[in-house]
Amino acid sequence: MSDRSNSFFRYLSYVIELLLMFVLGTTPGLMPELFGAKPALLVCAALTVAVFEREIPAMIFGMLAGVLTDLGYSNSIGVFTISLTVICFIVGYAANNLIVAKFLNYLLYAAVAVGILFMLYFLVRFAIPGTEDRWQYFTAHIVSRMAQTFLYSIPFYFINRFIYSSLSPEE
Amino acid sequence: MKDIFQSTKVKVFLSVLLVLIMLAVFTRNVENNIISTTLNAFTFGLSKVSAAASADSSDNKSIDELKAENEALAQANRELRAKLVDYYNVKEENTRLWSFYGIKKEHEDYALIPAMVLRRDSNDEFGSFTIDKGTASDVNVGDPVIGESGLIGWISEADVYTAKVVTVLSPQTSIGAVDNATGDTGIVTGSAKYADDSCTTFTKLNSENKVEEGDIITSSGASGIYPKGMMLGEVKEIGYDTYDSSYYAVIEPYDDIKEILNVAVVSDFDGQGEILKKESGE
Repeated sequence: MSDRSNSFFRYLSYVIELLLMFVLGTTPGLMPELFGAKPALLVCAALTVAVFEREIPAMIFGMLAGVLTDLGYSNSIGVFTISLTVICFIVGYAANNLIVAKFLNYLLYAAVAVGILFMLYFLVRFAIPGTEDRWQYFTAHIVSRMAQTFLYSIPFYFINRFIYSSLSPEE
Repeated sequence: MKDIFQSTKVKVFLSVLLVLIMLAVFTRNVENNIISTTLNAFTFGLSKVSAAASADSSDNKSIDELKAENEALAQANRELRAKLVDYYNVKEENTRLWSFYGIKKEHEDYALIPAMVLRRDSNDEFGSFTIDKGTASDVNVGDPVIGESGLIGWISEADVYTAKVVTVLSPQTSIGAVDNATGDTGIVTGSAKYADDSCTTFTKLNSENKVEEGDIITSSGASGIYPKGMMLGEVKEIGYDTYDSSYYAVIEPYDDIKEILNVAVVSDFDGQGEILKKESGE
């Protein structure tokens, strides 16, 4: 296959992966809650795409994942769209220019990115509006969601590495 | 540093970011905007598939599970019936077993729109969900949403074909309520502390309140936003809030809000918006 068709099918695979994660994440009663939370599957998919792709595709897939995540909560574009767009662009840039995304390095990227993303989410949704019991919510849900999202992203890393290596442009 | 900002990629990135920020402001402030309508229309089919799948899976219970559930329900029903004979009139005796048809029969003034849960937000622990009816079906922002046993939430955002429901477990909810047994009034609002157990709180009770465990809390209808007399749940425990020096009761709704799949929107009822009209001088 030519480089262009490889890229097309690779991007198509990512889009299908994101849509599948949207359906899995929002289907009522499908995924069990663990310690009061579920993983953000779209975040896992977007981050792992970002470490293999260049900055602009990484940003676009981050934006798509963010829009779908925000759509699950409200009819407006919000914190996940903007923060995932920024984070995926930075991760894409860093993985291409600063620290190559080997598995251990990926764990570092994922830990920092997931931490920043959910802290921003907590800040915008709970801390700034001054929601009562916000720290209880943080310890009972956000921490668990961060940990699960980080752990669930590991299989995504290998899936997307496989997609990237199978359908990457020939050097 | 200067080179970074002159790079095409960074320029594209900053442009996209600017557009996203503008869209975020636009979609936040404009109801029924073309962006959210388009996105919801796009994901509507996906959500229909997942909703159908979840509806099927909810029936996959073993005979033992069904027997145990049936026994638990029968026991709860016996206890409730005994309490109702003592304290309430015959109408209230059957309220917990209401189906939507029962509610409609009881309240002919209600305009009910049956709806199905399309998707649940995995980021929200207060049980908010999206239903498959929107403004095209006469669903509007602020309309009450009921389950088979009573009030479970309200419409926070309405699109053409979908609508978001904020449940009584959310701190965003504020419903004037009354304890039918004692006449004590207060506000039903969600709390992060109790939402994990699918419970909400009956707050702002005065210091001489007589609220007891097992009392049934209903909407007072005082604001004209929610119909009067809709069941909100049963008192599970009483607490004291040292922060604002007031008593509150923990309420357990009768419907399993985090698992419910079939709901109905009350799009119209007698007295709807009357207080608001009076306040605005219409």
